Amino acid sequence: MNHIAETDIDTAGSPGSRGSGSPVPPPATEVQEQKAAESRTFKARFVAFLEAYALLVLLVVIALFFCFWSETSSTFPTLANLRILLASQAVIGVISLGLLLPLLCQEFDLSVGNIAALTAILVADFVSGGGNVVAAIVLALVIGMAIGGVNALIVTRLHVNGVITTLGMSTILTGVILQQTGGLAPSSDIPPALTNFGIGMIGGVPVIFITLIVIAAITYFVLCHTSLGRQIYAVGSNLEAAKLVGLRTDGLKAATFVAGGVLCALGGLLYLSRAGGASPNVGMTFTLPAFAAAFLSAAAVRPGRFNVWGTIVAVYFLAVLNNGLNLAGVDPYVNDWVNGGALIVGVALATVLYRRRTT
Amino acid sequence: MSGLMASDLEPRVASRVALAAENVSKTYGATRALDDVSLEVSAGAIHGLMGGNGSGKSTFIKALAGVVTPDHGRLALRGEWVDARAHTPARAKASGLHFVHQQNSTFPDLTVAENLALGRGFESTPLKSIAWGAQKTRARSVLQRFEIDVDPDTPMVRLSPAAQMMVAIARALQDQDAADERGVLVLDEPTASLPKHEVDVLLTALRRYAEDGQTIIYVSHRLEEVISITQEVTVLRNGRVASRLVGEQISHDSLVAGITGGQTIAAAGVSASDGSGRRSPDVPVGAPVLTLRRTSRDRRTNHDALVLGAGEIVGIAGLLGSGRSRLLKQVFGVVPRDGLHVELSGGPLTGSDVREAMKRGVAFVPEDRLREAALPELSIAENLSITNLRQHSRAGWIKPSRERGAAKQLIAEFAVRAPSPSAPLTALSGGNQQKVILARWLQRRPEILLLDEPTQGVDIGARNEIHELVRAAAAAGTAVLVVSSDLGELAALAHRAVVVSDGDIVDTVDGPLTEDGLNDAVYAQEKSL
Repeated sequence: MNHIAETDIDTAGSPGSRGSGSPVPPPATEVQEQKAAESRTFKARFVAFLEAYALLVLLVVIALFFCFWSETSSTFPTLANLRILLASQAVIGVISLGLLLPLLCQEFDLSVGNIAALTAILVADFVSGGGNVVAAIVLALVIGMAIGGVNALIVTRLHVNGVITTLGMSTILTGVILQQTGGLAPSSDIPPALTNFGIGMIGGVPVIFITLIVIAAITYFVLCHTSLGRQIYAVGSNLEAAKLVGLRTDGLKAATFVAGGVLCALGGLLYLSRAGGASPNVGMTFTLPAFAAAFLSAAAVRPGRFNVWGTIVAVYFLAVLNNGLNLAGVDPYVNDWVNGGALIVGVALATVLYRRRTT
Repeated sequence: MSGLMASDLEPRVASRVALAAENVSKTYGATRALDDVSLEVSAGAIHGLMGGNGSGKSTFIKALAGVVTPDHGRLALRGEWVDARAHTPARAKASGLHFVHQQNSTFPDLTVAENLALGRGFESTPLKSIAWGAQKTRARSVLQRFEIDVDPDTPMVRLSPAAQMMVAIARALQDQDAADERGVLVLDEPTASLPKHEVDVLLTALRRYAEDGQTIIYVSHRLEEVISITQEVTVLRNGRVASRLVGEQISHDSLVAGITGGQTIAAAGVSASDGSGRRSPDVPVGAPVLTLRRTSRDRRTNHDALVLGAGEIVGIAGLLGSGRSRLLKQVFGVVPRDGLHVELSGGPLTGSDVREAMKRGVAFVPEDRLREAALPELSIAENLSITNLRQHSRAGWIKPSRERGAAKQLIAEFAVRAPSPSAPLTALSGGNQQKVILARWLQRRPEILLLDEPTQGVDIGARNEIHELVRAAAAAGTAVLVVSSDLGELAALAHRAVVVSDGDIVDTVDGPLTEDGLNDAVYAQEKSL
């Protein structure tokens, strides 16, 4: 009752409409009160919606802009371009998820790009030498697991800072790639089973994009609907508290590095199947957009938390932006500006949203 | 006081007022942290600022410091009214406001002399390099004045937390001494980590400074200190000024009435004898569930074992740095046990492993909620279920309905005032957060509950509720081992107590407990050292 009386004053401010003397409270004020409450919750919901889906909305706006901008209206909104967009970014998408996992435990993995690149090169070597495709997939998984495992051991057992560990690992992997290739793309003979996967379509949708969505869905499910995922989020939220409620914090961190490594290796495999070969210099071109997307994820879908669908939205947000600019004929260095800027904006947004939620 | 509230104020404030605030308001989202707060602090007075958690006390201090920008209001510093919104940390400093915060604001790796000089400026030679000799001499004189018995060359980290706080206060006060115009010293919970005898030293020093004309704003939870030291008090509740008390008006009852809104004066639980009414004279103590045994260490022949029975609440008293908290962590397996044998009802607990202790029915609510217990970004429901994930999940899949249902039930059972189970933990006040942490562990129906400072930084209302929850758990058969630096709390809560010194249990105090009795037992150890 109390709050109704208050709204009385606010909405029907004239002295006659209230006061102890009036025997029948005007029903209009109650309606107004209800409407006010509705509009308040509507406004709150709208703000929450905007906060969660601003990036998605922005993605749509930018896409529409490129559809109608004279520079790109003939090239951007074509089925072929859309398919290229969806398929080419699937690789970055899977690698971003590989980065997202350690990031949830507050650990950075700078080696994600080079894990993918090395996997692509070693698998290319293997299948060109007549290796079986199934064995190649197993090989990729083993490479990802091994490198992720080494990262995990160094971080959790030797207590080396994750940034340093993975920066070192990334540099070593660059060396291994150079050693393997001599700096040149190996002339490879990729079996059609693999390349068909890379260029294939189901119902007009690139298979490789569907693969990304399936991997994302599995990752999402594990993170948000299982005990394991909850424990990973708890470690990221407060390591000390996680220890004191009996979580195996080192094991969980290690698991994210290993699983992250596996996802990156899968990303490398997708890259190989799509490109039909492996370039030795591709590693860093994966790392930066992956970081930008993973950080931007904290500003989308579930604001304040790094999350799977936010990452996917961010990957395609960056891709559409870059793709449209490229089609408009801007100089290639603009893409670096976009990716670098997005990384900084992503981190800034993540920080701001985190602070708003916790203070 | 009421003259200040008049809207047609003179640009200058009466000279007897050292600091005034008028209609300072601050809103965070839907929460009004400060709602038209007005107060004035007389020059040369010690002005107490009290209030429970969520009363707006901290926000007001932050607004004074210029860290938080109020929505509106104005402040009078050095007799000039300024818009509170334009207040900045630099302006706070320029107008002579000095802050010593609850958290240590010292630099642990630097020496005492360096800590005293930082923020003030080093003594320098004509070449502008640091004159270490002069610096040390100055530091020594400051330390002497504040009766801090440490060498200026000692790194801060080597000092006890109590001595660190003293140096932090000395650092703030040394500037005051040099200043021509007296400023205002704001002390935010300065005694939160001080043992009693150092509290007295500090209070004596503060009184001396006030007599010299120093104005002090003293923020504290501790009623006795506020009663003993302040001449005027402002009590905040729910962001508003609940009461203003001067001189004789400052009493235990009037303060508690202001803080709690007069609901729980009788149950304030501050005096030692208070809890005894609730305690049945013959506590039915069940079978022993926890036995602590220390294998002899060379320098101590004392093998005192602690035997804890089901349903018993035993307090652990001891000075700061006596190893009280460490003892709990040793039992829980967080730190190595160092020859401490822990025997539970089902046999000895071997291996320092939190998981094993949990499996054997031990629960641990740590001292530092923010650092050791809260999962800040996770929701209340997620914070609750984290110790019970197995119960909420099937084959690793968490059932959302079951988790939410359990959370709702616990929120009701533990009287957590929360908007919804899916709100983030940080949306709650300190007391309610603490209830969530307690519920997190009690839902497991532990055999042994280890509590470290269960009501630190919690207002009186929530403190009583937490005490009730602990008593209820004990009544249901849980054995409770509780550490508190507030001996009044131990006396009210525990059936009997042990005294810890240098990591060992050195004395036992049988119930019924009194604060004075515990105090004597603790300081008996101190003297014998």
